[in-house]
Amino acid sequence: MTDLHTDGNGVAGLLEEILAVEVTTMVRKCQSCGDRQPIAAHRAYRGAGVVLRCPSCGDVAVRIGVHAEAVTVEWRGTYAIAQTGSGSP
Amino acid sequence: MTRRAPVVWRTATVRGVVAESPHARTLVLDVPEWPGHRAGQHVDLRLTAEDGYQAQRSYSIASAPELDALEITVELIDDGEVSPYLVEEVRPGDQFEVRGPIGGHFTWSVPDGGPLLLIGGGSGLVPLMSMLRHRAARRSEVETRVLVSARGAEDALYRDELASLEPSAGLHVAWTFTRTPPPGWTGWARRVDAAMLAELGPGPDAGARSFVCGPTPFVERVAELLVEAGHDPRAIHAERFGPTGG
Repeated sequence: MTDLHTDGNGVAGLLEEILAVEVTTMVRKCQSCGDRQPIAAHRAYRGAGVVLRCPSCGDVAVRIGVHAEAVTVEWRGTYAIAQTGSGSP
Repeated sequence: MTRRAPVVWRTATVRGVVAESPHARTLVLDVPEWPGHRAGQHVDLRLTAEDGYQAQRSYSIASAPELDALEITVELIDDGEVSPYLVEEVRPGDQFEVRGPIGGHFTWSVPDGGPLLLIGGGSGLVPLMSMLRHRAARRSEVETRVLVSARGAEDALYRDELASLEPSAGLHVAWTFTRTPPPGWTGWARRVDAAMLAELGPGPDAGARSFVCGPTPFVERVAELLVEAGHDPRAIHAERFGPTGG
């Protein structure tokens, strides 16, 4: 396999530490394809930082950079904080 | 939404270690001020070397929320950076940091109901085991089908415990051994496929909640098979792990 992604579950600890909310159930509407998927279902690619991509179209959803003194998070799309277990906003 | 205590790094002390296979060990941890967890959640674990170098990994919680200790089961990754220490070296009394519990998508509690379909590849069984231990602790009879894919009997985690749980009403546990089945094995000995899932059940019309955990290729394949069989994609919860340096 050359496609070495995991998923959004693996970055949940980092994002929760920053945002103080549980993020895996947060539903994102992709600005490219319009699909709505929980963060947990997004593909995670690790390199110098972490990039989350839409599982439907592959568009970039979240870019996370971990630096010595700060964590930077760039969000794309529309995010809805939903009830735990709910599948859509 | 669910408001929770903020996740912070806490010091965990190893209370005990349990060998699960030649390559996997369960660490029983005491974590002061631990806020409790839901079955299926994970923790981030951080090791700090004397020179300040830090390495961090995520591990699923294996224990039931009802247990008075936090247990994780760690499988050795050859050439890994963290798992060799956790599987081969760590001793009772050793300390490291954990952050959690983390996650809400890949969780199940008895009130969530069923039927449940739990499919684990390799150590992807760990978070499913937390759900099964929770189910047992609550004496739940929620219809539950479990499929575990392991390379061989030697790699199979929790096999005796699962056998002891299985007489419970509503629980059926099936194994498939993909590389070296145990001697005399007459069960499945191939990768998970559509026929296997159809035989295991429940069918797509049962409205089952599915939880699939394992290496990314395993999870992608099983989730695709479930969707093709007609299961509602929204009821399929997946957690993938991959080559993160172990």
